Amino acid sequence: MARVLVVDDAAFMRKMLSDVLAKAGHEVIGEGANGNEAVERYQALRPDIMTLDITMPEKDGLSALKEILSLEPTAKVVMCSALGQESKVLEAIKAGAKDFVVKPFQPDRVIDAIGKAL
Amino acid sequence: MTPEEALAKLGDSTGDAVLEVLRMFGGGAAERGQPNVIPSGTPPLKAIPVPAVAASVSYVDGVTGGNIFVMTRRGVQRLAAAMMGMDPDQADESAELGELELSAAGEAMNQMMAAAAGATSTVLGEEVEIGPPETKFFSTPDEAGDAYELTPHVVSISYTVLDEPCRLVQLVPNAFIVKMIHALAELEAEAVGSSGQRGGDAQGVPGAALRPVALRVWAELGRARMPVGQAVSLPPGAVVDLDAGPDEPIQLFVNGRRFGSGRLLLVENEWAVRVEEILPVTAPTDTNQGGTH
Repeated sequence: MARVLVVDDAAFMRKMLSDVLAKAGHEVIGEGANGNEAVERYQALRPDIMTLDITMPEKDGLSALKEILSLEPTAKVVMCSALGQESKVLEAIKAGAKDFVVKPFQPDRVIDAIGKAL
Repeated sequence: MTPEEALAKLGDSTGDAVLEVLRMFGGGAAERGQPNVIPSGTPPLKAIPVPAVAASVSYVDGVTGGNIFVMTRRGVQRLAAAMMGMDPDQADESAELGELELSAAGEAMNQMMAAAAGATSTVLGEEVEIGPPETKFFSTPDEAGDAYELTPHVVSISYTVLDEPCRLVQLVPNAFIVKMIHALAELEAEAVGSSGQRGGDAQGVPGAALRPVALRVWAELGRARMPVGQAVSLPPGAVVDLDAGPDEPIQLFVNGRRFGSGRLLLVENEWAVRVEEILPVTAPTDTNQGGTH
């Protein structure tokens, strides 16, 4: 079981991800709706792992990822991307993200990605 | 190529990408019509059935323009139910739309437009980024008619999703059309050149006896050079910088010889490559000696 921070600008996606993670026995300790909240809540909550959407208002997921990794190089982050964002995913993996899931996601794929990244 | 032809091609590539995502959400229950170029000066959401929800997404990089996806209230309820794994027929159609349903519509739009931006990027040969979706609710036709600024070109595509009508409206500025025409002309020229080169005597195409022979093909993201002492002492978790950026094409090799380049894609959660360039068969080829891939 891991303490997970879920960041996505869509309330719907946060709920879907939280439900999937909770069913698998993980604890969702917080949520965020943009890149700024991702950085703030990562520092405040120190989760074991976080899921991070790429396209978000104010600060996108890629910028948030880089900021979080500069503050905490061992941070474990799984990116959530939509189809057609391959170059962004690749940049995130190169920057240090542990894995990615493509939306619309399969619950098993989310759990698998979280499990492998931990 | 005329602007109308470019708009139709844009509508087709975007329309297909959007349809693919809608079918994933709707369990296959989605169909689309032909792209319809709307006369200049016509409000993009004129005469839509209300009450309706519109989610709009703008391109933020590479090209300017935007897309609006309009659904009936019932359509949003049914799509949100399907996205949450519920039976759309069980959706309470008398209820007001909740935050979660509007968020689901916005998320669906976001995913449709990301797929559409990927398709457009391929045509234009440059990355097209999208912004987050903005969702609006319209209770009267006037609200819908005044909601978005007019652009010189508008393309509309009708869909049926989970038995409900909906519509994709593309707001296309002039600069976008110029880029599209230029990019499509280049693609056509490449196609003509390629067919001329490979026709006739079929030079470089193996004979029937060789066709079943298996070859090792690989795709290379980038390379790195380092002293052997550094290479053998790399610890787990070390990060090795490669010489290629995320937007650069990846190189394709067959049995150690470079034969083309392409773009990395995700197909059903697995990496795939869309081939964009095939080198002439007689050209000198790079090899993979010393590369990291």
